[in-house]
Amino acid sequence: MKETVLDILANITGDDEVREDLDMELYESGILDSMATVEMLLELQMQCGIEVPVSDFERTEWDTPNKIIAKVESMG
Amino acid sequence: MENKIITRIEHWAKVAPDRVVYDYLGRENTYGELKQYSDALAAKIKSMNLAKDAPVIVYGGQTFEMVATFMGLIKSGHAYIPVDAHSPNERLAIIKKIAEPAVCIAVDELPDLGWDIPVISQKELHEIFTSEITTEPVTIEEAVVGDQNYYILFTSGTTGVPKGVQISYNNLMSFLDWCQGDLGLDFENPIEFVSQPPYSFDISVMYLYSSLLSGGKIDVLPPETTANFKELFKALKSYDIQAWMSTPSFVEICLLSPEFNEETSPELKNIYLCGEELTHKTAARLKERFPNSRIFDIYGPTEATVAVTGLEITDEALNQYDRLPIGWPKPDTPVVIVDEDNNVLPAGEDGELVIMGPSLSKGYINNPEKTAAAFIEIDGKPAYKTGDLAQIDPETGILIYKGRIDFQVKLHGFRIELEDVDHHLDRVSLVEQAITVPRYGADHKVQQLIAYIVPKDQDFASKAELTKAIKAELSEIMMPYMMPNRFVYVESLPLTANGKLDRKTLISEVNSND
Repeated sequence: MKETVLDILANITGDDEVREDLDMELYESGILDSMATVEMLLELQMQCGIEVPVSDFERTEWDTPNKIIAKVESMG
Repeated sequence: MENKIITRIEHWAKVAPDRVVYDYLGRENTYGELKQYSDALAAKIKSMNLAKDAPVIVYGGQTFEMVATFMGLIKSGHAYIPVDAHSPNERLAIIKKIAEPAVCIAVDELPDLGWDIPVISQKELHEIFTSEITTEPVTIEEAVVGDQNYYILFTSGTTGVPKGVQISYNNLMSFLDWCQGDLGLDFENPIEFVSQPPYSFDISVMYLYSSLLSGGKIDVLPPETTANFKELFKALKSYDIQAWMSTPSFVEICLLSPEFNEETSPELKNIYLCGEELTHKTAARLKERFPNSRIFDIYGPTEATVAVTGLEITDEALNQYDRLPIGWPKPDTPVVIVDEDNNVLPAGEDGELVIMGPSLSKGYINNPEKTAAAFIEIDGKPAYKTGDLAQIDPETGILIYKGRIDFQVKLHGFRIELEDVDHHLDRVSLVEQAITVPRYGADHKVQQLIAYIVPKDQDFASKAELTKAIKAELSEIMMPYMMPNRFVYVESLPLTANGKLDRKTLISEVNSND
């Protein structure tokens, strides 16, 4: 699951750095924005079968690779 | 001739003064207040004896006071130049220098640039709006009409110098006539329109004036709300939206929620998408959620007033096309395809799309050079070269969009000249040389901007630190939406045979892995 999430992130951001620094701040650094988030959520749905309730989506809970992995694992 | 927009607002203020015109997350304002505020500001502007036709900068966000200020200026015979409150100081300063405004109005608090023109501060504006008029009021004859400038919008130029597109009252009315015609809006009944694009983005013109002319209401989704999905869906639920105008990107965010559909938004009957290519996938998903609404993809440059061609998204259209065409031009607007020497090409051939007709801007303010390059004549009639590559289908006459002929890109609806981003990067003290390239996702759409940089000698501990420092300098001089998403550091950049930076090679390298 971890690898799938990192693959998705690396593919969306076009940057392998997300694999190396799992505590990297993704929004503040501009690596992720609203539109990249849309793609991430769609990919998580397709590849991991995770339905994120977007009307409860809080950025602060999803702002590093580690947090995203933890979220996905808790939902899977 | 009389300004029909002002006449209509006066009408609503008279017959329904308590009707709500503006809803900013529950903060409501009425038509009565719109009249009071705009009359008071117009009288104040009149008392200042400004040069005739001189435009006025209006600095702010998406509040009711912005709209009241626009209307006050139009009533007093002056065009407004909306400048977004998120703009860096440098952009504000350069717009002021180019446009030579008579006044600057601070709806939001204005940065101190050592202004040498009169400034109406946020506090003064509030006092003007809420005080009795003591000077001579304006009459309807003084309002902007005909060929006079109505608004001026600044877009990105290629050398860091933005271009101010002048839109006249006649240009605007040509667009609004089309809204009531082929685009299916009924101005005889009040329209409740969602307001997501900011006033510095010309697609906002559609919701603003459709609501005002129909005696309807504007439901605001400010940027702070749309950036936070939880807040966004809460706000959406609180409104009874009837009409929608946004970029496809914004609709894609809303489609993430399964609750964005016909059942939860039963009043939403008219949906318009503009500002960037609408993918088949997004169009199909939207049609699935709103099978009984009218959905239109509309296309056009700011220079031709919001949009000039439209395609209704029907099941038939979705079945017929894999990549959606941009549709048919509005009835008053001839379009042609030209070659490199501006010779008109027959249908079926690829070339640059050129637009004619009554919604064409008179050109860029105080910029004869750029105006002459883009605004030409075809058979003795004014015409605008869009820079878009297109084809007219020989059988149906429908317009098919094929991309850009230059290095302009659309990122989430924002129009960005890659040369402009390069120019700003070159000015950063840590940058020796730089070039910006787009990374495309599926369906031909730009997903990211990547800056390739040869840095100057520096002793930052990491690339991340260096990037942070470069971004800090850039944010002082460049609009936030132009900020590259990634910074790649290299020792040298590829060159063409002529010794110029080779953007095309980098673009194909960046996009070859997908």
